[in-house]
Amino acid sequence: MSSPAYIQTGMELSLPSELGFEVIARDAVAAFARRLCLPADQIEDLKTALSEACINAIEHGNSLNPDLRVQIYCRFEGERLIVEVIDEGVSPVAPKNAPLNVVDKIAGLGSLRGMGLMLISQLCDEAGFVAGKDGGNCFRFTVSRRHANGVGY
Amino acid sequence: MSDETPQHDPLEKVIELRLPSKLGYERVAMDTASSLARRMGFAADRIESLKTAISEAVTNAMEHGNQQDAAMKVVVLLTAREDELIVSVADQGRKPLDQDCTTGSPKIEDALERDDKGGWGIWLIRELMDEVEFTTAPSGGNQVRMVIHLEQ
Repeated sequence: MSSPAYIQTGMELSLPSELGFEVIARDAVAAFARRLCLPADQIEDLKTALSEACINAIEHGNSLNPDLRVQIYCRFEGERLIVEVIDEGVSPVAPKNAPLNVVDKIAGLGSLRGMGLMLISQLCDEAGFVAGKDGGNCFRFTVSRRHANGVGY
Repeated sequence: MSDETPQHDPLEKVIELRLPSKLGYERVAMDTASSLARRMGFAADRIESLKTAISEAVTNAMEHGNQQDAAMKVVVLLTAREDELIVSVADQGRKPLDQDCTTGSPKIEDALERDDKGGWGIWLIRELMDEVEFTTAPSGGNQVRMVIHLEQ
């Protein structure tokens, strides 16, 4: 596979599409984020967001087929870390309708699951599905380094 | 991820990591491998040995094989089997590894007289891992294949 130029200074990770491997992805991406000297609490948020994105890819995008793969691309743009989680697109992950809010879910108006995307959007600067290649779902989220004086957040 | 990835036994679990040849990024390989090794049940001291060996192999690939060109990749393949973890580290081979370097045992007395105190990496890898083999990667670069056995 030839890598796009933007990936030249980034990292690529390919994992079996099996629950549990998101833990390894989390440790890999956290180590990558430390190169940008992200503060510890931002790294914890990043790890949570990445776990949710990987679990979505494994459970939904790849429909729990262990023969498939999940790809993760990470790169820095200035002080911003960009992460893409790509599955093989067995089924779409992006919700068709706006998800219920937490209050409605707790009130029993919907499943208590399905809060991953909401959680990710709270933990990151930007998050959403972008056009992927080869028909896979590509979920992208970004984290900008927060400085001690609050600049950059 | 790549055309170079060989076909694997379905019971094997393979993680592929591609890193820029930039010193410091070997830590990503170390943390990824230690996370996998923990999950496989390796003891803490074996995980430390694994991390040191990977650090040496990846920094060799960055510094020597890829001549510190950040755009050149180091490919780390981690293959988890029931009773062992196989780590393969490949560079893009701008500078082929001198095979004589892969077998010798450096002497500390000689190193004390040299200005450059380096050159211990391959010896260290051989000391720390159960099996070590230097080959040429499918891409034409240098490749080191290291195996660490899981002792139950």
